[in-house]
Amino acid sequence: MSAVTSPARPASSGISARTINRIVIYGLLALFAIFYLMPLFVMLVTSFKTMDEIQNGNMLALPQSPTIAPWFKAWGETCVGLTCAGIKGYFWNSIKMVVPAVLISTLLGALNGYVLTKWRFRGHTLVFAMMLFACFIPFQSVLLPMATILGSIGRFGVSLQNATGFNFGLGNSTVNLVFVHVVYGLGFTTLFFRNYYEAFPTELIKAAQVDGASFFQIFRRIMLPNSMPIFVVTVIYQFTNIWNDFLFASAYAGTGDVMPMTVALNNVVNTSTGVVEYNVNMAAAMIAALPTLIVYVVAGRYFVRGLMAGAVKG
Amino acid sequence: MAFLEIDGLKKRFGNVEILKGINVELEKGGFLVLVGPSGCGKSTLLNTIAGLENITEGEIRVDGRAINDLHPSKRDIAMVFQSYALYPNMTVAGNIAFGMEMRGVPAAERQAAIDKVAKILQIGHLLNRKPSQLSGGQRQRVAMGRALVRDPKLFLFDEPLSNLDAKLRVDMRIEIKRLHATTGTTIVYVTHDQIEAMTLATKIAVMRDGEVQQFGTPAEIYNNPTNIFVADFMGSPAMNLIPAKIDGNGSGLSVVLDREARQPIVLPMPGAPAGLAAFKDKQVIFGVRPEALTDPEGAERNGSSIATADCHIEVVEPAGSDTFAVTNLGGKGVVARLRADARIQPGTSTPLAFNLSKAVFFDPATEKRIL
Repeated sequence: MSAVTSPARPASSGISARTINRIVIYGLLALFAIFYLMPLFVMLVTSFKTMDEIQNGNMLALPQSPTIAPWFKAWGETCVGLTCAGIKGYFWNSIKMVVPAVLISTLLGALNGYVLTKWRFRGHTLVFAMMLFACFIPFQSVLLPMATILGSIGRFGVSLQNATGFNFGLGNSTVNLVFVHVVYGLGFTTLFFRNYYEAFPTELIKAAQVDGASFFQIFRRIMLPNSMPIFVVTVIYQFTNIWNDFLFASAYAGTGDVMPMTVALNNVVNTSTGVVEYNVNMAAAMIAALPTLIVYVVAGRYFVRGLMAGAVKG
Repeated sequence: MAFLEIDGLKKRFGNVEILKGINVELEKGGFLVLVGPSGCGKSTLLNTIAGLENITEGEIRVDGRAINDLHPSKRDIAMVFQSYALYPNMTVAGNIAFGMEMRGVPAAERQAAIDKVAKILQIGHLLNRKPSQLSGGQRQRVAMGRALVRDPKLFLFDEPLSNLDAKLRVDMRIEIKRLHATTGTTIVYVTHDQIEAMTLATKIAVMRDGEVQQFGTPAEIYNNPTNIFVADFMGSPAMNLIPAKIDGNGSGLSVVLDREARQPIVLPMPGAPAGLAAFKDKQVIFGVRPEALTDPEGAERNGSSIATADCHIEVVEPAGSDTFAVTNLGGKGVVARLRADARIQPGTSTPLAFNLSKAVFFDPATEKRIL
């Protein structure tokens, strides 16, 4: 049959080598995909099961009487440490930290990329190389120095509070985390935007200069509106990294009401009061993972397009 | 005093001198074309006039005012770029109005200016489109509209036609010329295409290696090139530059052209330039344009000095409007331009008429014109 449908193929006995190759390749891909998706599947089904079913049933089985009670409990009632008010507060903590951190680091990265490609100065390659270096620093190594710096900033905030009655957010844990993530995100965001703007036609900037646009007017009116693909790539990358960060979050905002989602989730799972409620834990973990999933689904096609943009531009 | 004056302009990048002392002048309403091969510095010169690049030495004056230290937007210039440089995120109207918007012109005035320019360039129906939805010729018009709307003292064009296909290029060339004639603006135009230079310019500056080789009207450049480079660069097909010897036989000078395996051609030169006497019995480069080397019937009847000589034709190229014949003189292929219906066969000998009043001579050592 196959010899008839594709006459180009040389006639051979039995299944051709090409078919075997396909089977092996797709078989392996399917295997890896199943392996990769298995934990997600277990989490998802477990979060919809009752405790009875979890204790007596198969881990992989579908829920027999699906319930969304664990999701509500995780959101509003479960205990994080000693307070039992669910994870909703920490979810908002994370949002309040992630949104400004992503926007600030992305905008600064765009500005850096703009200067490093279109307003070159003596030593611009050195500056770029040093910024790139920030991408390779293991974050554990900066924990203590950064803690010292944040401490100083906090003390300065107290002085400001005494002098003016307002501390301008200095010393606030969320502000601290935003600051840390902006600083350590800059290397990546600058790299993304610099490489994108390298291929950006310089004649457009010249034309805008002749038209009388200033440095920031060119940035806002010409560069940013034409940076959508790389903007989306950078936002997804930064959002995922900062939302998922546990190291900085636990080091600089690891206790009390200021915890971001990741730390709170860890505390939910570690809280030992009686039975371990796997379904609630799983629901909490799913809630914690949702925002990055949503960002991917909404902006994912731009992500691929953005990564390819430099390659296919003629 | 000229309208645009470029005075002793030099530009260096580190130790490399890109522009080596440029002196050019242009009257108001003139059309200056900077022409030359790639890397001759013509675009750099244009960018320094625009203010997009700094100059190391010298001065640029427009209407008597030095502008070389002003920001591009303060120079009262408009520029059309090779890639058109239309802002992809804005509509055609937005593109045209962007400069006015930056200068704080009220919206009603902007709209009036857009409509006026759209009418001149016939792009009214395109005003709400994005640049990506336009064809090459339409983009070109919009780019010109963006320049026109400023009503500047000086227009700068940086190879504006090089991205268009051959037919459209000719159309747009005529359009630019018409625009120049109707609006009477002063234009500086960069191109590497010598036909564009000849057809558009009132003044041409032929450049090479950061120096102006010759500056003059198109006719001066074409008929009286100052050196071999200019003679060779301007004109298509290029001028025939034939190694020759000058012979003196009592009454006057004559030009001797060697031929393979045959007697040399001897052309008497009654009206030879005065400087040629010094080259008696020496080698020179004899320059004759293809249209000054033709069949005897097609030759200029009232040409003051026509000399005819039999030449061996190697190749014949019928081009429709003309027929080009290639012969070999002085060891080089020489192109003659004949009438379209000239009866001529490759591999035969035929008499060709040299219009010696149009011939020029160059010193092979200095490559300069012998006057």
